[in-house]
Amino acid sequence: MVFDILKGCKILEHNDKMTVAEVGASNIREIARALFERGYYYSSGMGVDERPINGRFAMYHIFNCDTEGRYVVLKITSPEGSPEVPSITPVIKGAEWSEREAMDMLGIVFSGHPKPERLILPDDWPEGVYPLRKDFPYNKKLPPSKPIEKEREHKKDVMEIPLGPYHPSLHEPEYFELYVKGDKVVDAEYRGFHIHRGMEKLAESRMTINQIPFLAERICGICGCTHSAAYCQAVEDAAGIYVPERAQYIRTIMLEVERIHSHLLWFGVVCHLLGFDSGFMHIWRAREYIMDIAELITGNRKTYGINIVGGVRRDITEDKKEKTLKLLDMVEKESREVLDNIAEMKELRERMEGVGVLPKKEAREIGVVGPMARSSGIDTDVRRDHPYAAYKDLDFKVPVYKEGDVFARFLVRYEEIFESFNMIRQALENMPPGELINDEYEIPPFKLGIGVTEAPRGENIHAVITWGENMIYRWHPRAATYNNLPAVPIMLRGNDVADAPLIIASIDPCFSCTDHVSIIDSESGKILWRGPLKEGVRRV
Amino acid sequence: MNAVYAALNLIFIVLFAPLLDGIERKVKARLQSRQGPPLIQTWLDLLKLFRRPNVRPRESVRWLFEPAPAIALVSVLAASLFIPSLLPGSLDTWGDIIAFIYLSTLSAVAIALGAFSTGSPYAQIGSHREVSIIMAEEFSLAFIVAALAASSGGLSFSRLFPLQLKVSTITGALAFAVMAYVAGARIPFDVAEAEPEIVEGPFIEFSGKGLGMLKLSIYVKRLLLTTILLNFFLPQDGTVRVLVYVIGLVIISVVYASIEAHYGRFRTKDAARFLKRFAIVGILSWILGVVGW
Repeated sequence: MVFDILKGCKILEHNDKMTVAEVGASNIREIARALFERGYYYSSGMGVDERPINGRFAMYHIFNCDTEGRYVVLKITSPEGSPEVPSITPVIKGAEWSEREAMDMLGIVFSGHPKPERLILPDDWPEGVYPLRKDFPYNKKLPPSKPIEKEREHKKDVMEIPLGPYHPSLHEPEYFELYVKGDKVVDAEYRGFHIHRGMEKLAESRMTINQIPFLAERICGICGCTHSAAYCQAVEDAAGIYVPERAQYIRTIMLEVERIHSHLLWFGVVCHLLGFDSGFMHIWRAREYIMDIAELITGNRKTYGINIVGGVRRDITEDKKEKTLKLLDMVEKESREVLDNIAEMKELRERMEGVGVLPKKEAREIGVVGPMARSSGIDTDVRRDHPYAAYKDLDFKVPVYKEGDVFARFLVRYEEIFESFNMIRQALENMPPGELINDEYEIPPFKLGIGVTEAPRGENIHAVITWGENMIYRWHPRAATYNNLPAVPIMLRGNDVADAPLIIASIDPCFSCTDHVSIIDSESGKILWRGPLKEGVRRV
Repeated sequence: MNAVYAALNLIFIVLFAPLLDGIERKVKARLQSRQGPPLIQTWLDLLKLFRRPNVRPRESVRWLFEPAPAIALVSVLAASLFIPSLLPGSLDTWGDIIAFIYLSTLSAVAIALGAFSTGSPYAQIGSHREVSIIMAEEFSLAFIVAALAASSGGLSFSRLFPLQLKVSTITGALAFAVMAYVAGARIPFDVAEAEPEIVEGPFIEFSGKGLGMLKLSIYVKRLLLTTILLNFFLPQDGTVRVLVYVIGLVIISVVYASIEAHYGRFRTKDAARFLKRFAIVGILSWILGVVGW
């Protein structure tokens, strides 16, 4: 039991889903270590500026244990008037990014952190300005800064290859620096967060509880529904809101539709990266049908806008159900045909087998999630271990492979989508009648809630602290890629340059999820082009 | 007379090579259940490129970078003068198959050198790959050419075209068909360009007219390799030949394009390994040719 480990700590909250404990500076490392050894891995870390309430900064370390089906939150607060707390990165490798993020955004100082460098904020961001602190106005404009010209150190005996920020295989601005000897990658470094949108600040400052699901959905263009579902679940968890069962089933169906569409997209991208464009085209053709299903049920092909705190916004009628089942058969048939062909192609398999291996031990230390973890021999799936929506009523298998290479990731996703087809059929079959939404609830002030969903890429976790009065005090979404990206440099080492894009793509990276971001020029108010649309398109 | 033939052949090759690429694009698109671009799309692309200026990277070596596209294009065009294409060969007394192979390799080397001179890491990797593939390719090609020469009793085109029907010439010609596929930098052998991996490799720093010339040189090279292959079997005179030749070009292009649509890209070492193994076919047909089969 978790109480043996948390002996002597103040238990703030304990229910069958999570345990929140306040830990002191003296014993946090021991407790974190003990949790890790007991099978808890580091899921997410949220820094909070609690000065308006108690004059301190707080850091919430969220651990996930899939065997016990429980989240353990270690809360540590800084002394009054000082932002310093001890770092747990020396004992838990996976906490590195979360602590650096809190350092950047809130100015919390983590003593003993092995790499206290900037992670999110750009290098030319002024010192001592922390955007997520409560006294920083969300609409404040910083004076324009000059770019810093840093003299870079060059490594000896290797060639440096910049993979990014603009590279045709990444599809989003992100920067991997590969150090290459001949055709082999000897080392790799990652610098991301070029496209941070400041969504958390926006939500905390000027959005109401029920506007945020639509913002959360825009965290990612591929897996938006799981973000809005996770956010809604977090609020429902914090406020104890009952969600009608029919709504839970509809959420499940849309989450699985999204998984199928995302995995098919991934298969297509992998084919393209392997130079097999025919596979790419045929898979994306099959993917069209699943988009049609989404359009049928929600009215939108992507960014469904179906989730809302307390339920969903649209019903699946008998007529829609029948059409969906028909379309579903078509997707299943077509995608099985194409994917079976690809899996049997010798030269494609040769390029995936034994490439980009992630050993189980390192996977556990970093805390990778989703298909990445399952292909490295870690049997984890939020849908089964922490059942949400209607997953407890559904019957499904979780594929696990030991090899940890790109082909194992291919197979995990391959088996997963066919499980998803069955799950959608089961859910449509067993959907109970009833209400779609429960809108009679009160939001209690200052309460922590956690919402998790298994996105196509892995566990998404949204932590929410309520403020009452229809507002959120703190919202911290963490997408799966955030946990998976630190594993990429490990996977790249010792492989060919030719395989680098494939290895990066094998985690199904979603950079904008990780950054909570998007790049739209109109957002900055800068007009790129004014004139006839036709000419503008040609110019851009 | 010869000068007129040469001019007509040149015009045909330059005009028809991009069109052939257009046909290949259409075939690939249909195989991928796409509509595909219009047949003249490759021509439109080239015209657009030729209207744009060249940009030279500041770090590049000027005397290597600037003439590279012209050398690449001129060398394949010069090679085209040796072989009979639409009309009988115009300059075939001046060059033989060895000269042809050297000129077409020169175009690849010019691209690689121009790319090496830019200092871009992607171009470096791309050129490195290009050179590795050329090395592996030459090894097989040497035996194939030797096999054809041994059975026809000479290296000049007048002896090689058309081939006498023997076991060694047939295996040699079939092996040449594979090499024509490889030397045309088609998937799975387009490792030097590999857009998702190294961003077009050698071509990354070229732009405008230079890029246009490089692309045109590749299309011309593909057409010339197919032309040689067809000449092995077609009669050298007659009006029927012209018709059969053009139809043959289209058919071989369609075959190559459909093969291309069914493969993924090799790694450089896999491609090199394949080519080295393939050299055995060349060696065998050479032995057959020497024995007199």
